[in-house]
Amino acid sequence: MNNERLKSITLGLVILVGIASAALLVRWTDTLRPPVDPNAIDESLYLNDKTARRMSLGFNGLAADWYWMRSLQYVGKKLINSTGDISLDDLSGLNMKLLAQLLDTATTLDPEFTEPYEYAAVVLPAIDVQQAIRLTQKGINANPNAWRLYHHLGYIYWRQGQYQLASETYSRGAQIPGAPAWMEAMKAKLLSEGGSRSTAREIYTRMYEQSGDEQVKQMARKHLMRLDSLDQRDGLRKALAAYQARTGKCPESWRELGPIFRAVQIPMDQSGAPLDPSGAPYLLKAGACEVELDSKTTKVPLK
Amino acid sequence: MDEQLRTLDTAQATHSEKSKLGGSGSLWRMSAIARNAFREAVRDRVLYNLVLFVLLLTAASIFIGELSGGQERKIIVDLGLSAMLLFGMFIAIFVGVGLVYKEIERRTIYAVFSKPVGRGEFLVGKYLGLCLTLVVNVLVMGVGVSLALLYISRGWDPLIPTIWPAVLLIYLELMLLTAVALLFSSFSSPALSALLTFLVFVIGHFSADLKGLASSLGSTGARWFFTGLYYLLPNLSNYSFITPAAHGRTPDAGFVLVTALYAFVYIAVILAAATLIFSRRNFK
Repeated sequence: MNNERLKSITLGLVILVGIASAALLVRWTDTLRPPVDPNAIDESLYLNDKTARRMSLGFNGLAADWYWMRSLQYVGKKLINSTGDISLDDLSGLNMKLLAQLLDTATTLDPEFTEPYEYAAVVLPAIDVQQAIRLTQKGINANPNAWRLYHHLGYIYWRQGQYQLASETYSRGAQIPGAPAWMEAMKAKLLSEGGSRSTAREIYTRMYEQSGDEQVKQMARKHLMRLDSLDQRDGLRKALAAYQARTGKCPESWRELGPIFRAVQIPMDQSGAPLDPSGAPYLLKAGACEVELDSKTTKVPLK
Repeated sequence: MDEQLRTLDTAQATHSEKSKLGGSGSLWRMSAIARNAFREAVRDRVLYNLVLFVLLLTAASIFIGELSGGQERKIIVDLGLSAMLLFGMFIAIFVGVGLVYKEIERRTIYAVFSKPVGRGEFLVGKYLGLCLTLVVNVLVMGVGVSLALLYISRGWDPLIPTIWPAVLLIYLELMLLTAVALLFSSFSSPALSALLTFLVFVIGHFSADLKGLASSLGSTGARWFFTGLYYLLPNLSNYSFITPAAHGRTPDAGFVLVTALYAFVYIAVILAAATLIFSRRNFK
């Protein structure tokens, strides 16, 4: 009996030590392997979208979910490996050649799955605008009652400066039962003031309200912050111009404009500098009567 | 085995009394075999797959939110119903092909047939027993998916009632597969039966392609062949309603009724063929 027990313990130890050794050896070989640039090498997809649909048997919904999560991780990994502040709607520098294919496969496997179309509409235009339009259009064809896809297609056209097309797309979306009234309003707004700041604010506000994806919401939030900051800077420039007209010189520091800021309730830090929408102080270019974002501290997108 | 014979004896005794009142003896014998097949499946720990299913759903419910970009409800339904189909398919294939083979291998079939039990009754009884196991499996899994949805939505979720028609269709598909497994096991080895049943599952999901292939071919003979295959093989793609269920869509009652009717007709044909083969089989 004792012998048996000893044998079991020995075998158990061999298993444990063996697994631990194997894991350590894998780690060792990982360190010996020459490093690869994660942005330079992309794995390729083994299956195209139609083959994937055929091969999925009755599990196409689950396969679509897998491709969707893979798309998110693909973008996530590229963002982690990148340096600098990169916005979700400007990933052109990150070599995302597989993203369109991943999203295309996810939507071929489950054509009613609208999230990948919406994600494509936001992320793809900076990488491949034709693919972005094709995927969003594919989503509209598969889900003709999804008015949100019209909103996203209109957004792509708007970003391209094609205000007439954007307006027509919003108009078509507005006719869908259940579409909100602002879709109809967007049609007119795009025609009359397509490139204006207020149109941009309207589009990003709606995107923020409607999207279920946290990354898209965050992107819209950043754009709204940028628009707020542009408005604030316009106001500050006016205040600087008024100060210059009154005193004949530009202020040496923000403190000199403190009474004006307090009167119009502009938030300030302890030094009297006005704060941007991310809470960072604006920089005053003394002598030039100019205001700008502090690129070191601000979270507002610079462009 | 002893239990099976005892059950049969009890069924026989009960039948003798019932038959005086006009009860059906065949049904009693089949239900006795079915109950026994169910008990055997439980004893063989077939329902342990439920533990794995619960672990899978629990892990998915907790972690999927991080990975899915706000799509956890859809993914839970897809994952839960796909696992239900996959686990059910494995049970239907691997338990189904062993139902008859085990009795022959252990030579217990002689004792069963020494009683007044027909070979058809034996097959149908075994089939119903496995269907009973599958219904328990599918129901528990359906409740599991509903609970996972309740957990994710922190309350009532409109997807909960919409998954049940899909669950019913999955169960019908599993019933069909079980019958196919039983048919193959009535004349072939378990390994070959499992392989053939799996191939039927694969081809059954390609039925739309078979039809497309038939219409695209130039040769009349080939066209007839593939059209014949399309009608001959079970059309399992009709039972795939997992993806629409994850979007909150339910099939029409008429569609469910027709697919259920198709399944019952097909099962009747397969069981009749299995009985025909099995009744000619020599166990010596």
